[in-house]
Amino acid sequence: MLTKEEELRLYEYDGSVETGRPDCVVFPGNKSEVAEIARLVNRYAVPMVGRGAGTGLSGGALAREGGVQVVFSRMNRILAVDYENQRAVVEPGVVNLELSRAVARAGLQYAPDPSSQKSCTIGGNVSENAGGPHTLRYGVTTNHILGLEVVMPDGETYRIGGAAVDAPGYDLVGLFVGSEGTLGLVVEITAKLTRLPESVKTLLAVFETTDDATETVAALTARGITPAACEMMDGWTIRVVESWIHAGLPTDAGAILLIEVDGPKEAAEEQAEAVVETCRAHKAREVRTAKDEREREALWKARKNAFGAVGRVAPDCYVQDGVIPRTRLPETLRRIAEIGKRHGFEVGNIFHAGDGNLHPMLCFDHREPGTFERAMAAASEIIALCVEMGGSITGEHGVGMEKDRLMPLLFSEADLELMKRVRGALNPAGLLNPGKLFPASKSCGEIRAPAMGRGPNELGEGVRGVTQR
Amino acid sequence: MAVEAKGMMRAMAGEAERAEYGDFARCVHCGLCLNHCPTYRLWGREADSPRGRIRQMFLVDSGEMAMDSTFVTHIDRCLDCRACETACPSGVEYGKLVELARGRIEKEYRRKGMARLGRDLFYRRLLPYPKRMAALGGLMRLVQQSGLQKMARSAGLLKLMRVDKRADLLPEIDRKFFSTETTRTFPARSARRARVAFFAGCVARMTFSALSEATIRVLRANGCEVVVPEGQWCCGALEVHAGYRDVAREMARRNFDVFLADEAGFDAIVTNAAGCGSTMKEYGLLFATDPEEHKRAKRFEGMLKDVTEFLDELGLTAPMRHVQMRATYQDSCHLLHGQKVREAPRRLIRAVEGVELVEMELSDQCCGSAGVYNVTQTETAMALLKRKMECVNATAAQTILTANPGCLLQLRAGAELAGKGQEVLHVVELLDRAIGPERP
Amino acid sequence: MNGSAEKLAQALAAIAGEANTSGDPHEIGKYAIHGVTPKALVRPANAEEIAEILRMCAAEKLGVVTRGAGTKIGMGGSPERYDVALVTTRLEQVHGYDPGDLTLSVEAGAHMADVSKLLGEHGQFLPLSVPYQKRATIGGTVASGVDSPLRQGYGSARDFLLGAEFVTGDGTRAKSGGRVVKNVAGYDLHKLFIGSLGTLGVLTKINFKTFPVAEADGGFLASFREETGAIDFVRRIAQSAVAPATLEILSPAMAALLGGQTDLGGMGMDSEGWRAASAGWAVIAGFGGSKKVLRRFETDLGGMASESGAAQAISLDGGTNRSVAERLREAIPLLLDASPATTVVRASVLPSRMGEIFAASRRSGEKHGIRVAIVARGVGIVYTAFLPETSEEKIFERLAAAASEVVTAAEAAQGFGWIPWCPDGLKRRALIWGSGRPDAALMRKLKLVFDPQAILSPGRFFGGI
Ligand SMILES: Cc1cc2nc3c(=O)[nH]c(=O)nc-3n(C[C@H](O)[C@H](O)[C@H](O)COP(=O)(O)OP(=O)(O)OC[C@H]3O[C@@H](n4cnc5c(N)ncnc54)[C@H](O)[C@@H]3O)c2cc1C
Ligand code: SF4
Ligand code: SF4
Repeated sequence: MLTKEEELRLYEYDGSVETGRPDCVVFPGNKSEVAEIARLVNRYAVPMVGRGAGTGLSGGALAREGGVQVVFSRMNRILAVDYENQRAVVEPGVVNLELSRAVARAGLQYAPDPSSQKSCTIGGNVSENAGGPHTLRYGVTTNHILGLEVVMPDGETYRIGGAAVDAPGYDLVGLFVGSEGTLGLVVEITAKLTRLPESVKTLLAVFETTDDATETVAALTARGITPAACEMMDGWTIRVVESWIHAGLPTDAGAILLIEVDGPKEAAEEQAEAVVETCRAHKAREVRTAKDEREREALWKARKNAFGAVGRVAPDCYVQDGVIPRTRLPETLRRIAEIGKRHGFEVGNIFHAGDGNLHPMLCFDHREPGTFERAMAAASEIIALCVEMGGSITGEHGVGMEKDRLMPLLFSEADLELMKRVRGALNPAGLLNPGKLFPASKSCGEIRAPAMGRGPNELGEGVRGVTQR
Repeated sequence: MAVEAKGMMRAMAGEAERAEYGDFARCVHCGLCLNHCPTYRLWGREADSPRGRIRQMFLVDSGEMAMDSTFVTHIDRCLDCRACETACPSGVEYGKLVELARGRIEKEYRRKGMARLGRDLFYRRLLPYPKRMAALGGLMRLVQQSGLQKMARSAGLLKLMRVDKRADLLPEIDRKFFSTETTRTFPARSARRARVAFFAGCVARMTFSALSEATIRVLRANGCEVVVPEGQWCCGALEVHAGYRDVAREMARRNFDVFLADEAGFDAIVTNAAGCGSTMKEYGLLFATDPEEHKRAKRFEGMLKDVTEFLDELGLTAPMRHVQMRATYQDSCHLLHGQKVREAPRRLIRAVEGVELVEMELSDQCCGSAGVYNVTQTETAMALLKRKMECVNATAAQTILTANPGCLLQLRAGAELAGKGQEVLHVVELLDRAIGPERP
Repeated sequence: MNGSAEKLAQALAAIAGEANTSGDPHEIGKYAIHGVTPKALVRPANAEEIAEILRMCAAEKLGVVTRGAGTKIGMGGSPERYDVALVTTRLEQVHGYDPGDLTLSVEAGAHMADVSKLLGEHGQFLPLSVPYQKRATIGGTVASGVDSPLRQGYGSARDFLLGAEFVTGDGTRAKSGGRVVKNVAGYDLHKLFIGSLGTLGVLTKINFKTFPVAEADGGFLASFREETGAIDFVRRIAQSAVAPATLEILSPAMAALLGGQTDLGGMGMDSEGWRAASAGWAVIAGFGGSKKVLRRFETDLGGMASESGAAQAISLDGGTNRSVAERLREAIPLLLDASPATTVVRASVLPSRMGEIFAASRRSGEKHGIRVAIVARGVGIVYTAFLPETSEEKIFERLAAAASEVVTAAEAAQGFGWIPWCPDGLKRRALIWGSGRPDAALMRKLKLVFDPQAILSPGRFFGGI
C-alpha cells in the first residue's frame, strides 16, 4: 500500500490528458484481498477505483474524487488454459499480449488486440471493451469474454457467466464489459481463445487522394469483403511517419490503406485478390503485398508507431476517437478537413477505416495563445459531426472523464437517467469510480478542457496528447 | 539558443547538467513501455517503471519533489537497459534522461559513507585507468585462483564493491590481458577490404582477451586490417550510467585524440562490447554545451560500429565450416535498445551452416547483467536471470549466443545456477569457431 | 367480459385505437399463456403508444406480456399476473438499412422472413437462423434468446446486436448502443434484453450488424456408430483451419425424426439416402466460401471424419445443404410436434463435456422410460428432448425427474441447464431455470431499475423475475 505524496503522484495519470490523485494506492494479491478492501472502503465511505496498466485514454482509472486506487498489477497470473475448449482463465492484471504469447505455441490467440496490447491489462480491456485493428474481423473484447468474477462495491463477490456459453438470466457479462469500472471490480476473467489463422496476407494500397482511399473502404465493405484489418493513413501522416520510421511508405501519396486478410490459405489468397481488384478499381496507384513476416512487421510497425511519430512534429497533439457509418467515410473526412481548416489546423488521419472508427489528430503548440481553445473547439465539432453522421462519440477509448459532457449528444436525458439508475442499482453509494461516464450537470457538448494553469498533466505540456492507437 | 545558454550557465556554475523540459514532455505517459521494463515486470510498480521514473525525474528536476532516498533507490534500480526506449513510440530518450539524473544524484545527493567511498574509488580512481584495472584484475585473479575468495570476502575487498553476495558473477580473469600499451597492427588475411580500429575496452580487455583475439581473427579473415591503437581509454559507459559524467567526458576526449588522429585513416572503429558501443555512439550527449568537442564526438559516433553490425554490413567473405549446434540468441540491451541493432547478429549466426537458431521468448528482455547492475543490485539481477534462464531452457538450445561481454558473464552464471550448463558464446566467437584455426 | 376488463380495453383503445384493441374473450383466448388468459389485447402502432400503455399499466399495476407472433411465448414460467397482451406486430418498419455499411435498424415487430428477404436482395443476411423463421418477429427472437445453428460461425445475437430502443416498465422510452459497428459509449443495456423474455421492457427498434452471403455453400455429413466418434470429429474440426458456419450433432433418434419428416429429394438426397447417411450419430457441418475453399474444407473434413472413425461420410452440395439447414433450423418445432408433452432441456457446457450430457440424457430416458432425441451445437449447446407417448398427468412425475436430471448433469459439468419448453403442467415441477445461482440477486436489482412495479411478464423469468 502506498500513501506517500511522492508515490501517489505516480498514480494520478494514465494515458489520457486527465489527472486525479488517489489518497491511497493498494496492490491486492488475490481476490479475497480485493473483497476485503472493498468492504473496508465501503465502511469508511470513501471512493474507490480500479486500475490496470493505466494506458486508458479517457481517464477511466483516475481517482477523480480521490480515495483508494486498487491496482491490479500484482494479480497477473494466467490461472488456467484449456486448450481443447479454447478457454483461458486469467487474473485481471494479465497483460493482453502476454496471454496471446502464452497460448501461441498451441496455435491460439486472445483475439482483441488494442494497439496498447503490449502493456494494457485484460482487466482494463474488459472495463473499456477494448478493440483493435483486428476487431474488424474478430470483434471487440465483449465478443471474447464468457465469464467474470466481480467484487461489488459492497465487497460481495459474484460469478457471472461462466466457461460455457449462454448462462440463463440476463447477460450480466455483456453489461459489465465496457462499463468502465463503474459497476464492480473484475477479479477473474474467463476468455475465449481463437485459433491463429492458417494464412495471413498484408497489403499496402497507395492512392493519390484521400477520397479514393475512403471510397475503396466503402466499396470493400459493400462488396462484402471483410478483411481482418483495414487501416488508413492520410498523406500528411504518411510523410510525418516516414520521416521517422522509414518503413518505405510512399511520401508523395494522398493516402494509403493497410489491409490484412487471413483465414484458410485458399480463402486468404482469394480475398487478397479481391482486395487488390477493388483497390485498383478505385484508382489505387499501387498495391503491394508483404512478401514475408519481416515486411509485414515493418508495415505494422509504421502503423502502430504512427501516433508517436506524429507527436514529434508538434509539441501538442490531440487525438480524437469517433465512429461513423462506413458509407459516410468520404464525406466525413472532407468535412473534418474543412473543420480543421476553419480553425487553422491541418488534421492528420490514421484510423481503423474498416470499422469507420476515426482518430483525427490535431497538432498544435499550446504556447501560441488561443490555439489550445481552437483545438478543443475543432475537436468538439468533429465529434458532433460523427454524431450527425449517425455515429458515436467513442469507438474504443471510452467516455471516462474526457467525454462525460458529450454523452448528451448521443443520449437523451431519459437514456442517461436509466443508465445512472443501473449504476445506482449495482453501485448504490456511488463509491466505485465516481465522476465518470455521466455529465455532472446539464450538457454543454464540449470536450472537457482541463484548465491550462494547473496543466492536465504536470508532466507534459498543456494538453499534450493522447497518442496512439 | 536559450536552451544552450542555460546549460552553459549551469556548467559554468558547476551544476549538474539537466534534461530540458521538452525531453520530459515528449513522454505522454501512454504506458506502452511498462511491460518492456524488467523492473516493472518484476514488481508491477509505477515507481520502478520507465513512465514512473520519468515522472519522478521530472518532479525532482522541477523542484516539486525532493531528491531523497526513495528517488535515488528507484533510479538506482533502473538497469539502464533502455528496453523502454525501443518500446516508446514517442521517441522519449530515456537513456539520456536517466544518465543525466544519475549525474545529478552523484553531484547533489550524499550517499551513505561506505557506499559513496566505494563508488568513488571504483568509478574515479580505478575504472578510468587501464593500468590500475589491470592491477586489480591481477589481484582478483589471484584471489580467484588461490581459493582466497572467501577470505577476500571477509576482508572486505569484494564487499567494497558489494559483490560479496554473488562472487559467481565476477568475471573470470583471463590469464593473458589484452594489451594496448603499444599500437599493434594485424594485416588482413585476404585482400584488404577495410582498415579498422579495434576498440578494446577496459573491463573487457582484462577479462576477455580471448574474445578480443577472436574478434581480431574474424575481422582479419574477412579482409580487414585491424589496428589496436595505443593510448585508447575506457569508453566511460559505466561512468555515464553511474552518473560520473565528468570522468566520462575526460575519457571520451582521450579516445577522440587516439581514434580521430588525422594520420590514422580508419574506415571504422569496431567494438565487440555493445555496452561500450552504445555509450560511444552517444558521445555527443556528453558535449551538448561544447560545440568544438561536440563536432568531434559526432565524427566519432559516425565511425563507431558494433562488430556484428560492421561484419553484417561488410558481408562475410571468409570460408566457414559446418558447426553443428542448436543455439538461441539473447539480445544485448545495449545493442538492441541502445543501438537498435537486431537483425545483424542473427544474420551472422544464420550464415554459419549447421547452426539452428531457436528464438527464445522475451530475448529482448535484460538478463540482469546491465553493466555493474548485477553487482550493485544483486538480488534483482538474480531474479531477472532466473526468468531469463527459464526462457533459455525452454528452447532446449545447447548454446546461448549474445553480443556483449557483460551478458556473457551473466549468462554463464545463469547457465550454471539456473540453466542446464549451456555453453555461452559471443557471436564473433561462433564465427571464429566456424572459420577455424588460423593457417600459418 | 367483466367490468374491469371492459374498462381496460377502453383505456387501451383510447391509446391505440378501437381497431387495435380487443377484450373479446374469443380473441383474447388465443393469447393465453399456460392457461392464463389476459383481460385485453392491444396492438400499438409505435413506441409512443407503448410508452403510454405501460405508464397506464404501471400506475394500475397491471401485468403485461409482450409478444410478437407468439411462436415462443411458451418459453419460461407462467406469468403471475397477465392483464394485457401487448402485441408488437404493427411495429414493422425497416428504419435504416445501409447495405454499404452492413447495418440494419428495424422495428421489433418486423418479421424475420421479411427482413431476410430484404437483406437477401442485397446479398446479405442476419445470422439468426432461428426456428419459426416464417412467422417469428425480430423482437421476439431477440427477447426469447433462441439461438441458431449459425452461431458456430457467427456467434449469437449478443455478438451482432449494435443497439436498441425500448420502453421500460415505467413507460420511459430509452435506448442504448447505436447503429455503428463499433461503439463503447454508455452501458450496453440492449444486451440485457437478449433472452429476457420481455421482463425488462418492450423492444421497439433493434440495430444489427449484417453479413454478406458467401459466394457458394456446401455441407458435410458424417455418421458414427458411437457418440464418442461424433464428439471426436467435432473436436478435430475445432482444432483445424476448417471454419464451418454450422456444426450440429444429431442423435440417432433425432436424425431419424429429421429424415422421416422430410423428403430431401430433388436435391441429391431422398429420405432413404438421408437415413442411410445419417444412421447412428450424425454430424452435419455447413460452410460458405468460394468453390476452392469449399473443396478444401470437404477434403479436410473427409480426412478428419475417417480419423474419427466415421461409418459414412458424404459431402452435400449447396442445394442439399440449404435444405438440410432449413430442417435443422426448425429442429425445435419438429421436436415439439413429435410428442404431446415434449420437454426440451437446454444444456450449455464446454464442448469437451457434451458427452456427459448425452450420456445423462440417455440414462434418464432409459430410467424413466421416455424416448430421447438430441440435437447439439459444436459450441457446446445440447438440446435434449424427452418425447413421451402421452401427455397424461401420470407421465409428468417421470418427465420432470428426467428433465431435471439432465439440468443437474449440466450444472455438474460446470455448465448451465434449463428447460425452455415443457408442458404447462411441468413448469412448477421441474427445474425450469436450473438450480439457481447467486448472481440472480444482481439480476433482481436490475429488474427493479427497468420495471419498478414488476408489471412486465412477472414470474416468467430466471430467479422468479
Ligand atoms: C498508445 C495507446 C494505444 C491504444 N490503443 C487502443 C486500441 O487500439 N483500442 C482500444 O480499445 N484502446 C486503446 N487504447 C486505450 C487503452 O489501452 C485501453 O482502454 C485499455 O483497455 C486500458 O487497459 P489498462 O489496463 O491500461 O486499464 P486502465 O487504463 O488502468 O483502466 C481502464 C479502466 O478500467 C478500469 N479497470 C481496470 N482494471 C479493472 C478491474 N480489474 N476491474 C474493474 N475495473 C478495472 C479502470 O477503473 C478504468 O476505468 C490505447 C491506449 C494507448 C496509450
Ligand atoms: S516513455 Fe514513451 S512509452 Fe513510456 S509512457 Fe512515456 S511516452 Fe509512453
Ligand atoms: S532502462 Fe530498462 S530498467 Fe530502466 S526504466 Fe527503461 S526498461 Fe526499465
